Amino acid sequence: MQRNRLDKGGRIDRSRPLNFQFNGRKLQGFAGDTLASALLANGISVVGRSFKLHRPRGIIGFGAEEPNAIMQIGKGDMTLPNLRATQVELYEGMIASSTKGWPSVNFDVSAINDVFSRVFSAGFYYKTFMRPKGLWHFYEKLIRRSAGFGKAPTAADPDSYEHRNAHCDVLVAGAGPAGLMAAMAAASSGARVVIADEQNELGGSLLCGDYQIDGKPANKWVEQTAAALGGMDNVTVLPRSTVFGYYDHNFLAVVERCTDHLSEAQRTGVRQRVWRVRAKEVVLAQGAFERPLVFCNNDRPGVMMASAVSAYLHRYAVSPGRRAVLFTNNDSAYQTAIDLARSGTTVVAIVDSRPHAAASELAASAGIPVLAGHVVVDVSGRRRVTGVRVGKWSGDTADTVDGTISIRCDLVAMSGGWSPAVHLHSHAGGRNEWNDELHCFVPGASTQANRSAGSGNGVWSLSGCLREGLAAGDEAASRCGLKPAGLDVPQAEDPVPMSIEPLWRVPAEKDPDRCSKQFIDFQNDTSVADVRLAVREGYRNVEHVKRYTALGFGTDQGKLGNINGMAVLAECLGKSIPEVGTTTFRPAYTPVTFGAIAGENVGDLFEPVRTTAIHEWHEAAGAPFEVVGQWHRPWYFPRDGEDLHAAVARECLATRNSLGIMDASTLGKIDVRGPDAVEFLERIYTHNIAKMKVGRCAYGVMLGEDGMLMDDGVMARLGEQHFYLTTTTGGAANVLSWLELWLQTEWPELDVYLTSLTDHFSTIAVVGPNSRHLLQKVGCNIDLKKESFPFMSVKDAELGGVPVQLFRVSFSGELAFEVNIDSNHALQMWEMLMYAGGEFDITPYGTETMHVLRAEKGFVIIGQDTDGSVTPQDAGMHWLLSKDKDFLGRRSLSRPDCVRDNRKQLVGLLSGDGKTVLPEGAQLVIDPNAEKPVPMCGHVSSSYFSACLGHPIALALLEGGRSKKGETLHAALVDGSTVEVQIVSAIFYDPKSERQNV
Amino acid sequence: MKLGHINLRGDAADTAFVNGAASGLGQALPLDRNTISRSRHRIYWLGPNEWQVVTDLDNVAELVDKLRRALAGRHVSINDVSGGYTVFHLSGSDVPELLAKGCTLDLHPSVFQMGACAQSGLAKAIVLLGYIEETPVYEIIVRRSFSEYLLRWLRQN
Amino acid sequence: MLLISCPFCGERAETEFSYGGEAGISRPPDPDALDDAAWADYLFMRKNPRGQHLELWNHAQGCRRWFEVERDTVTYTIKASRALQTDSGDKG
Repeated sequence: MQRNRLDKGGRIDRSRPLNFQFNGRKLQGFAGDTLASALLANGISVVGRSFKLHRPRGIIGFGAEEPNAIMQIGKGDMTLPNLRATQVELYEGMIASSTKGWPSVNFDVSAINDVFSRVFSAGFYYKTFMRPKGLWHFYEKLIRRSAGFGKAPTAADPDSYEHRNAHCDVLVAGAGPAGLMAAMAAASSGARVVIADEQNELGGSLLCGDYQIDGKPANKWVEQTAAALGGMDNVTVLPRSTVFGYYDHNFLAVVERCTDHLSEAQRTGVRQRVWRVRAKEVVLAQGAFERPLVFCNNDRPGVMMASAVSAYLHRYAVSPGRRAVLFTNNDSAYQTAIDLARSGTTVVAIVDSRPHAAASELAASAGIPVLAGHVVVDVSGRRRVTGVRVGKWSGDTADTVDGTISIRCDLVAMSGGWSPAVHLHSHAGGRNEWNDELHCFVPGASTQANRSAGSGNGVWSLSGCLREGLAAGDEAASRCGLKPAGLDVPQAEDPVPMSIEPLWRVPAEKDPDRCSKQFIDFQNDTSVADVRLAVREGYRNVEHVKRYTALGFGTDQGKLGNINGMAVLAECLGKSIPEVGTTTFRPAYTPVTFGAIAGENVGDLFEPVRTTAIHEWHEAAGAPFEVVGQWHRPWYFPRDGEDLHAAVARECLATRNSLGIMDASTLGKIDVRGPDAVEFLERIYTHNIAKMKVGRCAYGVMLGEDGMLMDDGVMARLGEQHFYLTTTTGGAANVLSWLELWLQTEWPELDVYLTSLTDHFSTIAVVGPNSRHLLQKVGCNIDLKKESFPFMSVKDAELGGVPVQLFRVSFSGELAFEVNIDSNHALQMWEMLMYAGGEFDITPYGTETMHVLRAEKGFVIIGQDTDGSVTPQDAGMHWLLSKDKDFLGRRSLSRPDCVRDNRKQLVGLLSGDGKTVLPEGAQLVIDPNAEKPVPMCGHVSSSYFSACLGHPIALALLEGGRSKKGETLHAALVDGSTVEVQIVSAIFYDPKSERQNV
Repeated sequence: MKLGHINLRGDAADTAFVNGAASGLGQALPLDRNTISRSRHRIYWLGPNEWQVVTDLDNVAELVDKLRRALAGRHVSINDVSGGYTVFHLSGSDVPELLAKGCTLDLHPSVFQMGACAQSGLAKAIVLLGYIEETPVYEIIVRRSFSEYLLRWLRQN
Repeated sequence: MLLISCPFCGERAETEFSYGGEAGISRPPDPDALDDAAWADYLFMRKNPRGQHLELWNHAQGCRRWFEVERDTVTYTIKASRALQTDSGDKG
């Protein structure tokens, strides 16, 4: 039974009733309703409980400003918490519940807080629960439960979301009269226009009143304009789309709610889409928010914004009450009184704080009594307004009013004037200026390419909004270099002129600190007394007062209450409102779901997966993968239920005893060519380049200018002016960028070109005593013997008739070859080598075995055994540092900090018990029983079980480590125990490096 | 047809280089930024001194050879990079909208016109994008290691 | 998100670029001639101005060129972006 629904009118479809549930109650509304209008139509007064005091609260607004009607919508994994009922379009089968109020909004056990509300004053939580220290965590859980924000779904989000980049000449935010006019003007000039509005249909305020444009109902003009815009190829119209952020360089974010308005069964495709719009010019036409008036018990269900009352009457054909009192300090509310009277609601009186109002005649002609020079000082009723107390007020600053009378009513429509929605202007970096005539902040000078138009710019008349919208659209188009089309301003009449006299805090029957709560911020239960208390306790800055009183926080971000709060603060401080200033507006304008922000970057698309040309073979072989950078590298190749440990032990032994094969394609590969290639590389690498012969390779490291190890790899001289470098897998992009930086900024005189070959070449490492036999077996056109193809050399060759680049290098200490091959042929080459290697028990191995083999040889991994604070000397690489030349980072190596005796140096560690594989990252201590905190002298950087040696090995960085060989230390384990370790050389296997040199 | 790729570096201000490259390739290098020269090969402008030649894979070895001979003695860099790239061709008027889901370029046909190219990001991969045929056909050239990821992204969208 | 004009490729979104810190820091021609303090100054000391800042950016997803940008660190307005004076655009 929709008892508050009017018989006719409204933009609802009475032929399409919609069933929904609210807090378990089955109700019905119509297509075109919001959840809020449907609740009001059904006479639901209490929609939630307040945050702190748990007072019953009703719907107060009709849009983004709504602080009370905060709902959990939908069920299961599709549920969304903390939506404003005023912005939720009703759909068949909707299940909605209040996010506040436990166990129910009508019986809330915490409502006792209200009785003791004086205890729950500003800063209550800080004062009460911060002592004793540590108990806050306990209190926090209780408070969160009873304060109650909505419930996040626990399962993965079943919906899909996406992002869309867009570019336009003119973006228009808001499709009320000013926005529509601006979009028409800009679009008619040929500009690419995007117009976004948060509502389901365009029109804004025009949908909520009896306006005439060009002698016709405004709705007709809206329809025509919307149709015209929709028909233009250069215009993108985005309804249900909120411009929620205005970022640098005219980049704006818009969230489009694509299917939220449909019943869950009807939803297909993308649920929400974030438009990332780069606009040359922006027109901000987001309108204005009506301000509440601040009087005792102004939060009782049935106290509403006057504009909201008009909106419910006109747009939804809902009358929120039977007997209304209007309370205003300005003329705009008179229209609401007339709207109410026309709808058949009794308007008992207009209570106007001003002694004289031009609009009084309008009320008189409609037969509505006006109490000029009066104020509403208090409201009676708890779960619903039952009446108001009204007193005469002469406009002085007295805190109390005497001689009040009671008026019976069930609806109070209030208007404290209007505040332009300056949010996006502020996001963009623009300041706001206080306007003494309009009594509000209006957008000041823009710092980006935007302008505000309409009520968002402090223009209250319809004719003014249309005129300013047109001008803004024309100006934006002109700035884009387009010629305005010269549209005419539509004619509009403004029934109620606008004048206002400020009334920031209504006097009460008792003094402000003892009277009933005069709410400023409904969502956070911030009252006049709270702001006054904050000031008494020493808070002066508006940002501090905000944080102490919670004024302006929450889902509504103070859209209703902020300005009143600033004004009350200003009064307490004896300052003007502009002196107090506003808090900072930040994105998002209204809350945005995590799903929309993540877009399609979830699951498989969360992070790119880079794979080598041989990846499918590794997959087929059942290898688990290790993620290195974005690469997925085979970790090990288990056979018959082997675990990591067993597989790696087998792979290591097979490689050292016969033959292993590894996909090393992820190494960074850079081609270096040019007459100055030698000189360039001399400056980059620490070793001597000029001495390298063509066809030879060298291990090289590059340092940052701070002298720290940055990257390493093998580099080969392919020609007099031609080199080939490898980098670490993770460092490839950074190294190339680093080399280009020096070439382009410091040494442009060097003629060198760099080209990445990382993806072009795949690299197959063939490792072990039988590696030469394998290559000979598949057919190699060059002599592979030591004499003609010695360790650390490179040759173009053919393997099985396929051209390759063959390197005799080793990262394992074994006889080994690396085969560089065009990635188009890599998989075939791998398969050929695997097939031919059968007789040598060829064993594919992954990153883990590679790590063990290199650690046995004491080879460091940059980024694992180094951390940006390790010099080549620390890592035992003195032999790599040329004394004959300068190179990047060389000068830093003689800085005092780099020559300290107690720098951390690379050492080897053996576990005293011969069994424990130390955890990587374990801290080293000299005396585990020393007084806590126990001084730490180093840490384990690499640690493995060596199957070849039969015991664990570890590499560590240890203070003064090289001079401590043979000493004993202790490594701290995760469980708090320690294990004895012995300091040894970092080279555990084949210390003379004979095996690779055969 | 399998496509091959050649990366060419050289001094665009040096007419001898520009002429040499043209004679080696049998086709002029595009010198205007963000453009493709389309004839026997598609030659993409990559930067002020860098081009990518996209051509029939079977041509590559011979073309590299011709280029090296035509530019012998000059400071240039010519690399066969055929193994390094995967190419996707997308056709249809909705392609710009599809790409807009993951690319920040303005791909409106009035802005990114026939014959235009750009190196940019698509989703989380770096791509070379070209508008190569009027119908329209867009060519996306991506590093081979990103191709599975990008294909997955394209399919999902 | 900034809109940065690459001197070679034109205006592109910030996501295509990487930041290279303060521009105009020259490597001392003879590092050994510097005492530790002067070398540390070159290594570590950078301006952190409120207002105009001359900085290096790299068109990492595009032409891979490094170039100079004059950016206001308060408003993020970019006054100019240009190729390095050292960059004739045709040198490797």
